[in-house]
Amino acid sequence: MKIFYLIKEGFKNIWTNRMMSLASVIVLVSCLIITGAAFLISFNVTHLISKIGDDDQITVYLDYDLNDLQSIKLGSQISKIKNIESYSFYSKEDALKQYEQVLGNIYESMQDDGNPFGNAYKVKLQDLSQYKNTVEEIKKIEGVSAVSDRSDIAGKLTKLNYFVTIVGSWVVLILALVTLFIISNTIKMTMYSRRYEISIMKSVGATNSFIRVPFVIEAMVIGLISGLAAAGVICSVYMPVRNAAAGIIGFIGESTFTVEQIMIPTFIVMSSAGLLIGIIGSIISITRYLKKEGGEIIGW
Amino acid sequence: MKMIYLENVSKVYPNGTEALKNISLNIDNGEFVFIVGPSGAGKSTFLKLLIREEKASFGKIKVSGYDLMKIRRGKIPYLRRKMGIVFQDFRLIAKMNVYDNVAFAMRVIGTPERAIRKRVKEVLELVGLDGKENRKPSEISGGEQQRVSLARALVNKPDMIIADEPTGNIDPELSFDIMKLLVEINQTGTTVIIVTHEHDLVKEFGRRIITIEDGEIKSDEKYPTKYHRTEADKK
Repeated sequence: MKIFYLIKEGFKNIWTNRMMSLASVIVLVSCLIITGAAFLISFNVTHLISKIGDDDQITVYLDYDLNDLQSIKLGSQISKIKNIESYSFYSKEDALKQYEQVLGNIYESMQDDGNPFGNAYKVKLQDLSQYKNTVEEIKKIEGVSAVSDRSDIAGKLTKLNYFVTIVGSWVVLILALVTLFIISNTIKMTMYSRRYEISIMKSVGATNSFIRVPFVIEAMVIGLISGLAAAGVICSVYMPVRNAAAGIIGFIGESTFTVEQIMIPTFIVMSSAGLLIGIIGSIISITRYLKKEGGEIIGW
Repeated sequence: MKMIYLENVSKVYPNGTEALKNISLNIDNGEFVFIVGPSGAGKSTFLKLLIREEKASFGKIKVSGYDLMKIRRGKIPYLRRKMGIVFQDFRLIAKMNVYDNVAFAMRVIGTPERAIRKRVKEVLELVGLDGKENRKPSEISGGEQQRVSLARALVNKPDMIIADEPTGNIDPELSFDIMKLLVEINQTGTTVIIVTHEHDLVKEFGRRIITIEDGEIKSDEKYPTKYHRTEADKK
């Protein structure tokens, strides 16, 4: 009975102060979206780096004018390099076929002479620590036009991740403080609008915890709504953003999380963060306020 | 038994104002006491000390068995449940009706709703407001508003009623009714302490009158009771 009364009072507070509640939800949602985005970028970059690190396969692109026979001969040269575990031929036809769907009608006309791709080899290495040396050796073989070297990308991504983590941590910290400030001010406003009731509650012997609970509930509900809304926004824009990024850098599409993978954790983390901010923010303002007595409360 | 016990109590505010100087007094269970004196004499400070809104700077002070010099912050609400406080400005919640204003005092100490319904009805009858449960404070007179405030102070069955200028904001004829009501409450065994500057009204009712001036007790006298004698007076 008692707890229902307190919960009802909490919701009543939100309704009484609905404009302020709405304003704080909007600010909290914005802060949580930025925070959530920073986290997701960081997680995805870390995931990307680990995927690239795990990838021990390199692609050796051959000169465009090399025919199949010359390409096979070159393959035997590759096999002689010490660190090679296995290698497989990847013909120009296979390369073109990969884009069949994208190309549509033009695909047919690009067969044979129209094929812009050259032959290639997919090579697996035995010892990844020898990655650089092996790549150098392969590059020396005549007829090799290029070797896909992902170690460079991994290095750049590591730097990016470091940057995202550092900047992200600061952003999260500052936004956490902003959200705490916003929510504690909202609660302060509600307490101000109910100062008469609070002074009466104190005079008839309501305990501080009893006075506190509706305000904490109010802040928790605001925090929870904001958390859920922020998670909803993040999840709905995640795939379009990811696809756009994949359009610029192809392998992002295959090496990052899908929305299905991030949805549940995002909702859990965002709503918990909202709740936590609500609890801490409200307790900060209530505790200071509840030290006041009688006339101090009314005259506040 | 002593309801209130003060021994050499002084109160000095942080700005250096000495509001009460070395006050000693006892108020017994069931007594009816007027605290009078000009404004700024220290009456309000005296009340604030009793309800522990302020802590005395020096001396000993006990109320309803609680030592107010040593009481922990968490225990103050329980001390206040032993007293019903009536304010000069009524302090009613405008958006609540009469019933809810009174029931509020029970709800905030966690009383079950069924007990609230029964008790609020009783108290509203006692103060003569039965039938006006659904009115908002703005729809009733000043005297009636003070009755609501009194009902709220009484609803949790306190050991004592502390009224700060209870008739300060109402017409003189209605003031008399409020005082009579307080006397009736006192006759049920509840200690009543009224702070007022209305000397005429005090003289009309008699009983124990403590005069505070410049932070000191100038007089503490018992006057003949002109309106119903209480058990404490008979002693």
